[in-house]
Amino acid sequence: MKTLFLGSFGGRPGISDAILAKTTAKIDASVLFDLDDTQRLIPALADAEIVVSHIWKKDFPEAPRLKLLQSVAAGIDLIDVPSLPAGVTVCNVAGHEQAIAEYVVMTMLAWQHRLLDIAAAFRGGVWSTGGGAGGGPTHGEILGKTIGIVGYGRIGREVAQRMVGFGCTVIGANRSPVADKGAASEIYPLSELDRMLPRCDVVVIAAGLGPETTRLIDAGRLGLMKPSAFVVNIGRAAIIDEEALYNALKDNRIGGAAIDVWWQYPTPAEPNRRGSQLPFHDLPNVIMTPHCSSATDGARDRRFGTVAGNLDRFARGETLHNVVLTT
Amino acid sequence: MKALFLGNVAADTFAGIEGELPPGLDSVVIADPQELAGSPAAAADADILVSNQWRADFPPAPRLRLVQSVATGIDLVDLAALPAGATVCNAFGHETAIAEFIVMAMLALHHRFFEIAGEFRERGSWRSSWVESGVPHGEVRGSTLGIVGYGRVGREVARRAAPFGVRILAANRTPRDAEPGVERVFPLADLDRMLPLCDTVALCTALGPETTGLIDARRLHLVKPGAFLINISRGQVIDEDAVYAALRDRTIGGAALDVWWQYPDAAEPNRRGSRHPFHELPNVIVTPHNSGWTGGMVRRRWDEIADNINRFARGDKLINVVTTI
Repeated sequence: MKTLFLGSFGGRPGISDAILAKTTAKIDASVLFDLDDTQRLIPALADAEIVVSHIWKKDFPEAPRLKLLQSVAAGIDLIDVPSLPAGVTVCNVAGHEQAIAEYVVMTMLAWQHRLLDIAAAFRGGVWSTGGGAGGGPTHGEILGKTIGIVGYGRIGREVAQRMVGFGCTVIGANRSPVADKGAASEIYPLSELDRMLPRCDVVVIAAGLGPETTRLIDAGRLGLMKPSAFVVNIGRAAIIDEEALYNALKDNRIGGAAIDVWWQYPTPAEPNRRGSQLPFHDLPNVIMTPHCSSATDGARDRRFGTVAGNLDRFARGETLHNVVLTT
Repeated sequence: MKALFLGNVAADTFAGIEGELPPGLDSVVIADPQELAGSPAAAADADILVSNQWRADFPPAPRLRLVQSVATGIDLVDLAALPAGATVCNAFGHETAIAEFIVMAMLALHHRFFEIAGEFRERGSWRSSWVESGVPHGEVRGSTLGIVGYGRVGREVARRAAPFGVRILAANRTPRDAEPGVERVFPLADLDRMLPLCDTVALCTALGPETTGLIDARRLHLVKPGAFLINISRGQVIDEDAVYAALRDRTIGGAALDVWWQYPDAAEPNRRGSRHPFHELPNVIVTPHNSGWTGGMVRRRWDEIADNINRFARGDKLINVVTTI
């Protein structure tokens, strides 16, 4: 069973090794990190029955034997489906949703409690940035707040389940009707997002990237939010209009944001490239992290287990899990 | 009927609840307790004292019947200096805010939040990113939280932490039933059996003879290697030297410390909270004793205090009674 671990996730030796360690089937594995290494890519794709990758490009060489494209990510937005050969099953992975839900709750707590500012000032010896013993201003809390989740899927349900213990109200908006709304009290159709946004103290972007969600959160919708609203983006950067968000934050038209997904990413030539062409890192009301909300040891373990399980199921001719589509 | 609001917090409280006080209540506000000596009548005439402190060297207050603390702890109230018949009440409203702080700190420690967010903002470091396949950080799901002191705060912590898939243990001086989501409540005497099971230990206990120095060098070695310690109770519950050494040497993974061994005073407003440089350790989240100090907490506490003063004026049963002298 020829399997190619490909690209910056699948083709990273640490990742392919960790996945292979969880498989029981005999797998003839090859590993290719560099997608532009055409000399190696042509023969590897010519042979492969399985490719483990989160990327499939339009101009990839032919892969006539390919049957399973197994992503190591949840989103398949980097997979060019029309250019896949016929009869290929595309599977994704889950297991990230619990980790991301933890991140979402952590950032909304940190924002309300002004944790980063108060801790940094106190590290410098200043007591009075916080209330209490320091006699400074009080901070906020999340008790009684309304959390709106845009894109109410696995992540949204995990967030909702955790918020209820904090005395929050959770509402959501989703493109398709939601059968299991979990701990949320109300789910709006995505077309009625504009009715939901004004209610929210926190807006969590947990949608997939697609035609309906690209630049969904634009200047107009940022304007519908409360002036104190806190936006958490763990979906994809392109769901939010970059310049509109920057301006809303800079002019304090919304309260703040936690941003984990970015409009641009580092490259080998520029490993410390900023995530935006705009200086979000100069804004005090932004919590920023490098696309790591799901990068927990637990999520990695669950994801790799899902990939390994599918490789074994494929080898045994069993039904695959996490099937997104078949070409 | 006369009331004396004494001290800064009491002065703020008066401003917040003035409109809710009983009609006809004659209130005197003295923000600086040092000035009480110059106004002995304010003490002599008061039926109600609203404050966080009372000392033997204050002017006599023989008429006091209600001593309403503006805090939960009454360690600054000298009970022996109060007249017989005075009922001492305290105030709450902080427990949900502190529970939020504890869950937040637990998440931030496991997720390496300060390190990752700090280096990304300062120098655009992506090394912890999924994209770069950096060293993964932890998550709280599947970890074990030990709550030392299963009272109002501890119960609120458990309610919030359980939906994360955290296994929750607790230890308490007096026997308490475990609420749903809490696996077991150990007697405090069996703390040494609970600690080795814990990935996170949250100290929510009051300060007393049994808890002073409770977390010493020996117990810091009982927790799992890499475990995190969160203290919102009182500094003295932890041995200052031992915890500094454990954090510096990474015997434990990290800590979030909100309460301290020493506090600022007028002469030294930026006095450090410890004689050791905890502020230089990267694995410690330090906050200035403000975990419960939310706008919501202040409002809830004011409401309780106003309610009690009205109850006293009507002759109704008081709430939050600590003791009657």
